[in-house]
Amino acid sequence: MQFRALLTDAYRQLSAAKLFWVSLGISVLVVIGFGSIGFTETGVSIGFGITEIESEFLNAGSRWSRGFYIGIFSGFLVNIWLAWIATVLALISTCSIFPEFVHSGSIELTISKPIGRLKLFFAKYLVSLLFVILQVAIFCVGIFLCVGLRIGEWNPMIFAAIPIVATFFSYLFAVCVLVGILTRSGITALLITGVFWMSLWSIQTSEAVLNRFVTQQQVDIERFQEGIEQTNTKIAKINKTSTEDDERLVSLEERNKRFVADKLEAEESLESLTQWHDPIAWVLAVSPKNAQTIGLLDRWLSDPDGFDIAAIMNGDMRSFENVEVDEFDRTTRNARERETRKRMQDEYESKSLWYVVGTSLLFEGFILGLAAWYFRRKDF
Amino acid sequence: MEAIQVQDVHKTYRGKVHALRGVSLDVMEGEIFGLLGPNGAGKSTLVKILMTVIHASNISGTMLGKLIGDRVTLRDVGYLPEHHRFPYYLTGNQVLHHYAAMSKIARATRTKRASSLLTRLGLHGWEHKKVGTYSKGMLQRLGIAQALMCDPKLLILDEPTDGVDPVGRREIRDLLAELRQEGRAVFLNSHLLSELEMVCDRVAIMVKGEVTMQGTIDSLTKDSKRYEIELKGSMPTWAKEACDTVQDNTMIVRSDDAEAIQPLLDRLRAEQTTIISVRPVRETLEDLFMRAVDNTDSPGAVQ
Repeated sequence: MQFRALLTDAYRQLSAAKLFWVSLGISVLVVIGFGSIGFTETGVSIGFGITEIESEFLNAGSRWSRGFYIGIFSGFLVNIWLAWIATVLALISTCSIFPEFVHSGSIELTISKPIGRLKLFFAKYLVSLLFVILQVAIFCVGIFLCVGLRIGEWNPMIFAAIPIVATFFSYLFAVCVLVGILTRSGITALLITGVFWMSLWSIQTSEAVLNRFVTQQQVDIERFQEGIEQTNTKIAKINKTSTEDDERLVSLEERNKRFVADKLEAEESLESLTQWHDPIAWVLAVSPKNAQTIGLLDRWLSDPDGFDIAAIMNGDMRSFENVEVDEFDRTTRNARERETRKRMQDEYESKSLWYVVGTSLLFEGFILGLAAWYFRRKDF
Repeated sequence: MEAIQVQDVHKTYRGKVHALRGVSLDVMEGEIFGLLGPNGAGKSTLVKILMTVIHASNISGTMLGKLIGDRVTLRDVGYLPEHHRFPYYLTGNQVLHHYAAMSKIARATRTKRASSLLTRLGLHGWEHKKVGTYSKGMLQRLGIAQALMCDPKLLILDEPTDGVDPVGRREIRDLLAELRQEGRAVFLNSHLLSELEMVCDRVAIMVKGEVTMQGTIDSLTKDSKRYEIELKGSMPTWAKEACDTVQDNTMIVRSDDAEAIQPLLDRLRAEQTTIISVRPVRETLEDLFMRAVDNTDSPGAVQ
């Protein structure tokens, strides 16, 4: 009964804040926009047939249409709309829930009722989250219908976005709650949560950039080592019976020296980069992993045909070019880049659910624990 | 039986501010008990401790027979905090339902009580209007209705008449008297002395975190009862010996017994002295309060 009372109260509070309805309205518009995209025999129609773009790859009969359509959802609507815009709107809507709750004159009325403080705190936290879940659920129902009606795929995994986005939002909301309880100011809570979010983004971006360099150096070192081994094999095969052989030997030895020097340089760079990368990787390990949490949806909705809209947006056209994914031609720059990207992708996809969500929830639990401890002990 | 019985309540905030210094008091069932004191004396702190809003540094005692802090007991306690603030987005009816639901009152009971209390407190017709549109007095009435929603055995009201007009105050006084008739205990926290004097059975005066006086108003003012005899013309030469004090043309006899002044009146009449008036005078609650406060250096909490 108490939980339902808190739930009803949270609904009325959010409902009174027009932003909740604005956010829901925009969500519906986004779904309608998504649903307006369809496939014809000759291409893609947009705006329920108002415009049509001819395409030999994306059309009603194409094997890539499914990946493209799902990719718009997981790559754009979730990554950009739900993970950024809707999250900002949700934070603005909910940032004042706890400051209002603990406001002097208001908290006395609630806390003096026959309900434990911890139960009250966590119930309030959960009902606040429920409204983000409600928003995402409505959004997902719309997307589910669009995907089903447009490409005939009734994919329940679309609803995986609900726990993923709610979990993602909860990392930020925990900080918002802690600051809101400490300062009793919704604006301060919102600002500090924003700073925290940007810090997370900076940590994740720094780690990704440094990881790219580290992986690149590792690929280079392997390439140079392989070059050294190949050169040594060739040197061993030379009989030194002619002047040509002597010249070839000198040339190979020169080449070998260059490989050794390059390898040494790459190793030094790797060592230097690792010094920077490892601490940031540790910080990331114990921080909420927003991007990776949202990225789970990409992993779970991956296209069996290998179509990856996010990869295409990053300039990786393998799915169009039919390039063998396992290829590692060490002689070209493109191949080196591709290998680096592939290894990073493999590493990213090898991260367990525990690493991505578990450690993030541990962080969230710590922050919430602090807030709950403060709420329990506080004299209001 | 005591509705509230606490001993040796201490509250020390960080920074060594002693808000309460060994407060002990009893509130009986079926009585209206008034706690008065200047601002910063610790009245609201004591009430908040009883309602588990503030943690005491030390406390022993019971409320409705259960240890202070027992959450289940709070179901039978109605509480109106000072400067309470209802969510602006709720209507009066929703406010009553929300807080009653938090007290685990069933929906059917809530609906019945809300309707009855809104009418009883003069808020009929306002139940579906947002509380943001209510006047201060209406919010106080709604606050009292909220406190009564759980059909409390004990009602704790912190400054209940704050912002209420004289008519509203009278209605609240009448309501409190009715609640007393119903056998409920009412704990009133107020600095409006005349209000308390009119309605309270017993009072306690708190100054600097300590209860300096406690009892019925009669017992507390008993020693101050006197008769003032105002005369016309010059004061008799024996006046100073026959009474306790002489002020201008008034003789003052300290006694709560009318028999004590009869010989004096007989003597005055025998001497043909014109008596303008004979007034039994008792110290008011305000006098009592001022005496309690004057006995201390400053009214606030102790650092």
